[in-house]
Amino acid sequence: MTGRLLLLALLLPAALRAQQDSIPAEEEEDYSQYDNLGFADEQARRYCSQKILDQSPARFISVQWDAQGAYDLRFSARGSWAEDADAPTAEQGSVRYTGGLRMQANIPVVSRNSIIWQLGATYWDTRYAIAHRVEAPESSGLMRQLADRGLRTTGLNTTLFKPLNETLFLVVQASADLSGDYFLDDPQGLQYLRYSAAGIWGKRPHDRLQWGVGLSRTYRVGALNYIPVVMYNHTAANRKWGLELLLPARGHYRRTFSPRSLLLTGYELEGQSYRIRGLSTAANSFEVRRGELRLRAEYQRQLKGFVWLSVQAGYRHDWSFDADELPEGREFFRGFFGDQPFAMLNSLGGAPYAQVGIHLVSP
Amino acid sequence: MRTTLLLLGLLLLPLTRLQAQAPPEPGDRLVGVWEPSHGKARVKIERIGSKYYGKIVWLREPNDPATGTPKVDKNNPDEALRTVPLRGYRLLKDFSYAGNDEWIEGTIYDPENGSTYSCVISMKDANTLDIRGYIGVKALGRTDVWKRLQAK
Repeated sequence: MTGRLLLLALLLPAALRAQQDSIPAEEEEDYSQYDNLGFADEQARRYCSQKILDQSPARFISVQWDAQGAYDLRFSARGSWAEDADAPTAEQGSVRYTGGLRMQANIPVVSRNSIIWQLGATYWDTRYAIAHRVEAPESSGLMRQLADRGLRTTGLNTTLFKPLNETLFLVVQASADLSGDYFLDDPQGLQYLRYSAAGIWGKRPHDRLQWGVGLSRTYRVGALNYIPVVMYNHTAANRKWGLELLLPARGHYRRTFSPRSLLLTGYELEGQSYRIRGLSTAANSFEVRRGELRLRAEYQRQLKGFVWLSVQAGYRHDWSFDADELPEGREFFRGFFGDQPFAMLNSLGGAPYAQVGIHLVSP
Repeated sequence: MRTTLLLLGLLLLPLTRLQAQAPPEPGDRLVGVWEPSHGKARVKIERIGSKYYGKIVWLREPNDPATGTPKVDKNNPDEALRTVPLRGYRLLKDFSYAGNDEWIEGTIYDPENGSTYSCVISMKDANTLDIRGYIGVKALGRTDVWKRLQAK
């Protein structure tokens, strides 16, 4: 008897401790006692969040494959052409496939209520499989360059989100991109970096609406441009649909199926100025101003935990594939109204395209 | 007889300790009511045994506007838990005090999307917490600053 009691005395405290460590059943609590509370620190402030409810998830790391179907292309001879000139075709052919790997990373360096600062990196590789090619003697050979070398963009970017109070915020974004037909083991010089930036002042009236206006320096249509931007992110009261707009760069209607799956339909403008090494010299930089309008639908869904899948399909419309000569690589601004001549006037047919990606999404 | 009484006394000792208030521990500075940055909820953090847990005790919008009934955890990936009321829901779980005003090895649940993240809590001052939810490594995460609340 004494032995049993001794054993019980030794084991009971441990058993009770284990019971304490497990979560006890919830007791009814008078929650009204939490209604009238205020900050213990009178200096404490509230700040608005950088996102709205149900917005498509931000991505830490993305690996995607982009593939365009067949299309025709026509290139002029190298010269000095006004934008509306009737430049004769010097090269024409058809492309069987265009595509390649796209990788992006965005890592928060500072992530607090009062400021969020992210650094990111991008690598896009685009290869061209030419089905057939016809060249006149005066052709520049651009099509051959594309077939042999493809195009790449490697860039760094940074984004700063600064809430001013519970509803107002600023967003500043900047990026430096090296675009051209270089290979990673033989990159082009940093003097050919192209810089983009945007600043937005915005308001977040409630959890389902965020809007802003600003100005951007962009290569979205291939060549350098300065354009106003409008941000508008909205989720409907029934939480089944929304809009995600950053005009004119992109605009999507969002259909939310659940917190783990959604469909975006809309468009994106994408582009860069690509230096073609074989057509450049020390005295100039020959750059293809590649801009694309992509009409698309993208389905995103959670695979497991924070790993998401995206499948995108749509139609790629050629916005610009013209080329410029940049003396000593110095950029210039033509904008919508400039009359600087083009080095080549080129056109690409439209093409269907698809993209599949795996993403690690942000909390 | 005397030995039996002594052992009975030993048996009852832990029970009397349970009846009394649990003695304070260094990590108990975390205990209290806190407001996440979005201000839509208030979370009461308490110690249960040797670990710390936080439950929602107040919601700015307690009822679902679509149904007019109290909000439930409708985004939970486990279908069986989608009717659990959000008020009273434990979204911080299993934090251990590691010293230096840091509570580790816990998780935080986001009812907006039904995701659970690894989480560490750092106390910046008596009224401010850095709550860092992350995926795998702390670098892949987001910090939310919570403020202590008290009776007005």
